[in-house]
Amino acid sequence: MRLSPQFLLPLLALASSRAADVEPLSYNRDIRPILSENCFYCHGQDENKRKKDLQLNIQAGQRANDVVVPGKPEASKLVMRLFSSDPEEVMPPANSNRHVSDQQRELLKRWIVEGAVFEEHWAYQAPRRPTVPQVPNFTIRNPIDAFVAQKMAAKGLTFSPEADKVTLLRRLHADLIGLPPRPEEVDAFLADTSPDAYEKAVEHLLASPHYGERMSLPWLDAARFADSNGFQQDGDTHQYIWRDWVVKALNADMPFDQFSTEQLAGDLLPNPTQDQLIATAFNRNHLLNGEGGAIAEEQRNVILFDRVDTTATTWLGLTMACAQCHDHKYDPITQRDYYSMMAMFNNVPESGVPSGGGQYRIADPAITVGTDEENAKLKNLESSLASAREAEQKLAQSPETLAAYEAMEKDLAASTEVAWTSLKPESATSTGDVQLHVQDDLSIFADGPRPDKADYTITLPASLPGLTGFRIETIPDDRLPSKGAGRSDSGNAVLTRLKFTAGAREIKFNAARATYTQAGFTPAGVIDEDVNTAWAFYPETAKPYALTVQTSEAVTLAGNEQMVLTFEFQSPHNQHQFGRFLIQGTSGAQPVGRVALPAEIAAILEKPDRSKEEVAKLREFLVKDHPPAGIAAARALIKSTETSLNDLRNNLPRVMVMSDKQPRQTKMLDRGNYLNPKDDVTAGTPAFLPTPPDGTPKNRLGLAQWLFRPEHPLTARVQANRLWQYFFSTGLVKTSEDLGVQSEVPIHGALVDWLAVEFREHGWSQKHLVRLILNSTTYRQSSRITPDLLQKDPENRLMSRASRFRMPSMVLRDLALSASGLLNPKMGGKPVYPYQPSEVWETLAITKERDFTYPASSGPDLYRRSLYTFWRRTIGPTNIFDASARQACKVRGSLTSTPLHALTTLNDITWVEASRVLAEHAMQQSPDRRVQITWAFRKILARVPTEKDQAMLQRAHEKQLAIFSADPAGAAAFVAVGSAPKSSLPAVDHAALSSVCLLLFNLDESLTRQ
Amino acid sequence: MNPFLLNQQRVTRRQFFGKSAAGIGGVALASLLKEDAVAAAVNQMGLPGFPHFAPKAKRVVCMWQGGAPSHVDLFDHKPMLEKMAGQDIPASVRGTTRLSTMTSGASKWPMVPAIKPYQRWGQSGTEITTMMPGIGSIADDICVVRSMNTEAVNHAPGVTFFMTGSQVPGRPSMGAWLSYGLGCESEELPAFVVMTSSDRGRTCGQLFFDYYWGAGFLPSRYQGVRFRNTGDPVPYLQNPPGISRDARRQLLDDINAMNADHLADYGDPEIETRISQYEMAFRMQTSVPGLLDFSNEPKSVLEMYGPDVLTKGSYANNCLIARRLLERGVRFVQIMHSGWDQHGNLFTQLEEQCRDTDLPSSALVKDLKQRGLLDDTLVTWGGEFGRTPFGQGDPNKPTGRDHFGRAYSWWLAGGGVKPGTTYGQTDDFGWNITADPAHVHDMQATIMNLCGINHEAHTFRYQGRQFRLTDVHGSILKGMLA
Repeated sequence: MRLSPQFLLPLLALASSRAADVEPLSYNRDIRPILSENCFYCHGQDENKRKKDLQLNIQAGQRANDVVVPGKPEASKLVMRLFSSDPEEVMPPANSNRHVSDQQRELLKRWIVEGAVFEEHWAYQAPRRPTVPQVPNFTIRNPIDAFVAQKMAAKGLTFSPEADKVTLLRRLHADLIGLPPRPEEVDAFLADTSPDAYEKAVEHLLASPHYGERMSLPWLDAARFADSNGFQQDGDTHQYIWRDWVVKALNADMPFDQFSTEQLAGDLLPNPTQDQLIATAFNRNHLLNGEGGAIAEEQRNVILFDRVDTTATTWLGLTMACAQCHDHKYDPITQRDYYSMMAMFNNVPESGVPSGGGQYRIADPAITVGTDEENAKLKNLESSLASAREAEQKLAQSPETLAAYEAMEKDLAASTEVAWTSLKPESATSTGDVQLHVQDDLSIFADGPRPDKADYTITLPASLPGLTGFRIETIPDDRLPSKGAGRSDSGNAVLTRLKFTAGAREIKFNAARATYTQAGFTPAGVIDEDVNTAWAFYPETAKPYALTVQTSEAVTLAGNEQMVLTFEFQSPHNQHQFGRFLIQGTSGAQPVGRVALPAEIAAILEKPDRSKEEVAKLREFLVKDHPPAGIAAARALIKSTETSLNDLRNNLPRVMVMSDKQPRQTKMLDRGNYLNPKDDVTAGTPAFLPTPPDGTPKNRLGLAQWLFRPEHPLTARVQANRLWQYFFSTGLVKTSEDLGVQSEVPIHGALVDWLAVEFREHGWSQKHLVRLILNSTTYRQSSRITPDLLQKDPENRLMSRASRFRMPSMVLRDLALSASGLLNPKMGGKPVYPYQPSEVWETLAITKERDFTYPASSGPDLYRRSLYTFWRRTIGPTNIFDASARQACKVRGSLTSTPLHALTTLNDITWVEASRVLAEHAMQQSPDRRVQITWAFRKILARVPTEKDQAMLQRAHEKQLAIFSADPAGAAAFVAVGSAPKSSLPAVDHAALSSVCLLLFNLDESLTRQ
Repeated sequence: MNPFLLNQQRVTRRQFFGKSAAGIGGVALASLLKEDAVAAAVNQMGLPGFPHFAPKAKRVVCMWQGGAPSHVDLFDHKPMLEKMAGQDIPASVRGTTRLSTMTSGASKWPMVPAIKPYQRWGQSGTEITTMMPGIGSIADDICVVRSMNTEAVNHAPGVTFFMTGSQVPGRPSMGAWLSYGLGCESEELPAFVVMTSSDRGRTCGQLFFDYYWGAGFLPSRYQGVRFRNTGDPVPYLQNPPGISRDARRQLLDDINAMNADHLADYGDPEIETRISQYEMAFRMQTSVPGLLDFSNEPKSVLEMYGPDVLTKGSYANNCLIARRLLERGVRFVQIMHSGWDQHGNLFTQLEEQCRDTDLPSSALVKDLKQRGLLDDTLVTWGGEFGRTPFGQGDPNKPTGRDHFGRAYSWWLAGGGVKPGTTYGQTDDFGWNITADPAHVHDMQATIMNLCGINHEAHTFRYQGRQFRLTDVHGSILKGMLA
């Protein structure tokens, strides 16, 4: 073996470094990351990729075959290969795109010299509460500070001074409720000199209902929450119901174990409440592809992968996705582990694609959820329906009703049908070019175009003196759609009105009946003038029916006069016109008063002695088809209540939820391809993590229980780290989405563990952890960066100052609304559609399948918090930048700075309108420019401007005033931006101050939480 | 040097300066703004070590043909389909090819020949449909790839797959990867610009999703900037009503002055970045309208792009804007057109679609060529998959073709592509690839290669894994390269 000269030299250096008092290397912190990045790909977990059967991720593998000989780098093959100058020998190979730096090679060697101590990955061992260090000369408010101070002391750093009170209050407001403090709140805070003034402010904000709104934002990113499905039709959903659940749960400080269990498995809890079902929407917030031709099973598998990946990232802080295709390269997650997890999400009765057309596309399973108001209305209707039904029952049994039936039976037995004569039409015409043909049997047949609406005009001879009524018979015909008697596709027709003109006079009808009437219609509908009432005969349209109408007087015409019947088909049901019908007339008395009876009933009536069955049959017939007026009214009430109830139910939001109602056998999929199933797997948790105790259900509920077992190494750390990230912009473990082997080994590992145990032992209260963090000296530091701090702690990983970062764009928008007083603080409910440049949705959509017009809100809905802005998954809100795209789970935000962001806060209506409204309010305070500027400044920045700020702003104001004085039309246009009421202030003055307000909104200090 | 540290050093310097001068006055501000160029450059620098090797193409224009153009009608002539018209594609040819659910249940597979004749074009004699005389006229400049293939069955996953390397949305798109690696050349325009258009009748029914040009887990500044064709081309580009350019300039000066003051107090390098970004925003406000003003284009050039060139939002209009963007240093231009999804209107729509896109597509190549830009500009033309050689609809009278990913055609031109050639071939039915397959990942690898990037080494660590555009696949299509 050839060794490079480098190999020998550093050994000497090493001896000297050992002599000095150097902190010994830690395998987890110093060594594993190097091996993981450079070696594990081929010599790690994945059996199929493993080269030369060498497994460096476990101790046995390292020690086998002299790969690593503790204390003896010269005998260790690892060192020889790393330092080899032979291209055939050197590791990692040149073509691997991996590179071990000289410094890293030295570290590996030193580790072997020090005994090659192996440690299991830190995050895979249950956290134990570490001893809180004693650090003198630091302001230690709680254990957090002790851990932070310990590391700082070692580097010769101290805490930065505490930030001034106004900065602190603005920071707390931004972090906890996402809204700026009002000047009067600032004043009160400044006036409160009690020692716990700060702690009181924290408590006050923790109790604010806006806390849940602010804290929900990162959770919505993790849950890839959106208001639409994504993909082609991008149907809207009602998942906002779940969003409101999250806000409520956070405000109530629902313990994190419960918060998680309800979201993962609320449906599997005993007798789940509606809220617990809603919670499970977490795992239904995925994309849904309803594109024509999409293969449902493929889509379903995409959804399953998404659920596993999202769940693993959110609660385990692990990237399981790699194990979809093969055993994980770095973490001890096998492909079997992956599919065992997937098995828990694989029992949902779902197809994989959303159903329904139009705006909303919901994929079952889903539950209907109303607002309190809607629920109350629902309940009301349900009870009205019950009482209406009861009343009808009662009435039906009443002596009056029974007597009425008996009278009717007698009456019926005595009455007979009048004689009808078929009338021969002299002419038959229609609007809309419908062709009406008189057939041999004198019936009329319609063909030709099928207009949406039509009126038939039939002229009849005056052949029947003393005419008392007409009988219109609908005749099914094979030539007509569905072989029915109407012209609509179903063979139905809807007659809205029948008009009768005799000679020059219009004759009214006073009664109508039919042998059958479709539910929701009535024969009487044709004789009134209301176009909304009509007669129709669906569903059995291929049967003949008769509609009888009775004139208000007996009509006799002169020989040269004509009768005209006009059939109006003007209902919203297009093309519902008669296809074939026969007109008959009579001069018999009261034709409608007599009942046309089915043959069977007529036969019964003719019998003087009726059997028991016949009596029952007769009564049944009357009860069903000819109830007395009281019963009919009661039934109509039932009917209309039912209709309202159904309408309400159908319009209530349906939130997609989880269910295990369709058990499936889960199989491992070769390379993640659903078409290549391999071995069966059963539901289970990753084998390398603690085994759930016996009796843990093998489903999502079991998964949730397992996550919160005290011996679980990940859950508590993952969430504690993420809470830290909320307030310091970087987690204690920087890679907050991944605590696996490839993650950063935290400098503050002990603090992570302390927080994790504290979290768990304190009932998983998130507010408790937040309170600890916010009350720490660490959090209360100033965020100023000095050259010394930059040098000693360039990335602020030792937290020698508070973090300083641009606020998320959602919070920036809320700040503008709040400072200007435009904010509508209403919480929850349907998403809204605030300002958006024209045609953002419209031009993106090139489909006719649904309307993509942006349904812009107006009035107070324009000013709701950004949390409530409708989130179209295919294109997020235009003025919300740097946000998660809400397509996949995201637990680490991005805060960048681009020209497009500057354009947004300078030019978007939101900020321009906020500026002019803020300026208007400022001008109402005082005519004094200085007061105006101070007033607006404090609304945005909380603090009072310095003399220098004042001078600069006054100068800026003078310049703007000069510009607008020369351009009064421009001034007028500028102060008219947005829908808020226009002010009556002089436009030039107003515009100049508005410009200054826009300037204020765009200051780095305004955009930043510092 | 690490840009982060570079920035910090400058800030440290600034801070001393700021402290000693007790804030920054007008003069100091001027010097600060002069350093803007540095700040901007830092901000837009590519990664160290990029490009990995000398690039053949300095910029890329991707003419995306969404909806999936029919390869058998346009670029892959199959006389067998004529000979056996109406007969079923033999089962031995079909094999177990996965089809969309619109035809996967069909029992007939009637072959439909190309709807219009083919012709051999140019010196190279490449066979291309007569419906595309424009593209025919540049046959000697392009390489037609007849062996593209993909696993995707549906549009959105198919487009996402080509653009991001994964059928599931959420990964960075190709343009984002390129601008992340190579940085931005323009001082006043973004590195990555996207434009969209669709066929006249909007017969197609696909949407354009912003993840087709998203940054995925890369910093969001790398996402494509979509130039819209109504309203402001870039959202919020225009000053608010009543605000003149001068008024804005004055306001920005005051914002910058106050920010500089704050920088002296807080010492955060991010404040400096903010100042430079506000300046670039101002420059964009001028350069973008100029970019879209065609008044200085000669008539002959306008004519080249066909009659729609002045219609905002048309494909032709976007093609000309693309050339102007490329000239101004934009690295990746993604023109997204849709209208090729002829399930039921092949015989009426395909030709119309060709008519609308043929001239502008070929004009862009010719225009780049006449300006000497084609040599180092890579031009690509193609969609997410091809269309079935059999007909869809009534088997006795098919009216269209379904999605088909097993084999389809693309063409490329310019920067490093062998001109006047074809690459890959399919069997007599246009169904199976018989030589030189070009998988989506292979094409991605090749595009990256032409830009001087080793696709295997251009990775981003996310969630504990190194991600790359080509996932763990992709080989360079060497036979296609000059």
